[in-house]
Amino acid sequence: METFFTTSQKIQHIIKSFNLTKTLYVSSIIIGESHTGKKSLARYLFPNATIVSGDNKEELISALEHNDELIITDFEKINNHNILDFSNKRIIATASYMGNASIIDDIFAFIYMMPPLKERPEDVNYLKEYFIKEACNTLMIEPNTIDMSKLYLNLSKNSKSLKKSIFSYINKQTMDDKDIQEILYHYLLKQLKGNDGYKEYLGLYEKPLIEAGLAKFGSQLQLSQILGINRNTLRKKIHEHNIH
Amino acid sequence: MNTTSINFKSFVEWDNSPFILFSNQGKIIYLNNASEILFGYVSKQELYDIALSYAPKFFGYKTTTLSLAYDSFLFYAITVGYENETEISLRLYNTPRLKPKHKLETKKLILTDINILLEANIALFRTKNTNPLKLLTDQDLPHLKIDQNNFSKLLRKAFNAFKSSDSMDVSLKFLIGKHVIIEEKKIAIVQLVIQANGRYNDADDEIQVLATQSQIKLILKENAIYLEIPLLV
Repeated sequence: METFFTTSQKIQHIIKSFNLTKTLYVSSIIIGESHTGKKSLARYLFPNATIVSGDNKEELISALEHNDELIITDFEKINNHNILDFSNKRIIATASYMGNASIIDDIFAFIYMMPPLKERPEDVNYLKEYFIKEACNTLMIEPNTIDMSKLYLNLSKNSKSLKKSIFSYINKQTMDDKDIQEILYHYLLKQLKGNDGYKEYLGLYEKPLIEAGLAKFGSQLQLSQILGINRNTLRKKIHEHNIH
Repeated sequence: MNTTSINFKSFVEWDNSPFILFSNQGKIIYLNNASEILFGYVSKQELYDIALSYAPKFFGYKTTTLSLAYDSFLFYAITVGYENETEISLRLYNTPRLKPKHKLETKKLILTDINILLEANIALFRTKNTNPLKLLTDQDLPHLKIDQNNFSKLLRKAFNAFKSSDSMDVSLKFLIGKHVIIEEKKIAIVQLVIQANGRYNDADDEIQVLATQSQIKLILKENAIYLEIPLLV
């Protein structure tokens, strides 16, 4: 059974409106960016409805013939809208963008706009916790062993990029020397070329070393002592790698 | 043809289009039956002002095409005329009622709780607007046969016309004493009124088309939309 979590006022209104029209034969569409939960919401509200993609014309026509209740995903991919007969059917469509507004306006009685994740801070928090738990389970990591304070949440592609940024962060936090060496090995195996490779790729090690050192010890003087190199050499390296 | 011996007064009296004769002071000298009803919705002064604005420059008669709407009275043209300095006449031409091209297929319609459709549309409206809305409805209204999809589209567009109003009043009630004839049957009417301090009128034509398709009588006012919905059961 599909579940759907939200605290967004806008989505609560969408759910309320859908719940009221659940028994009626009306056509509705949810429009919003990719990975905002449109399809999950439709499946949560209509668990028994057949799902068909707008991408597949034959399947769509046949599904329309045989079902009174239908979820149509990727509605924006339908080219010929004349084939659609929604009369006395319960249609729930989802689309990533509006496309031709007058066609949408003509076909659908209920047009809902799904807000992107960046407009739903509470939902982001919930999803963050959810994905952290999922990542820890998948990667077999104890959640309390990871420092989450530097976690950056990427919302540019909604839940997809959010999930990716969490998995990637947790993965990176748990790497040991061997993992890092392995990553560098594969990277260098692919990238290494030219005639100044040693100097060029040394930056892969030097830059994070100096950045982390400056963040940890504050002054260049102290860091040069820790690293056991001359202060002028350190200054030169900072300049070389454009570190601020 | 010699018409001087014919008394035309009763023809004008019983004409379906309003005819009014004003004095040069703006007083009504004569009005026919149709205008008597019209004066329930428009002031004498307003019609007199219209007569003066559209009067011909010289003695004679001038017909101007224009749209006038007073409640459910719609006119598409007027004729203003005078033959002397003391009287001026105004005749308003009723806009013909269009017979819906598409016949209402009552057998295909589904018995619906109109309150649910209304509430769902209010929830939809709420996803985009936060203006206060007062709803007065009769929960005991019987289920009625309606094209649910078409009616929902009509409601969405009607509500959208009030998207930036400060506050809205919505009422749904049984209209006592009025009927409509559909398929030779006398049908009662449910009236939905949405009103606010102002409204957009850019979608009026689309609202009219959707209302006509469901045989709903639409009255558009400056601050309100009235829908008279046949209570088909």
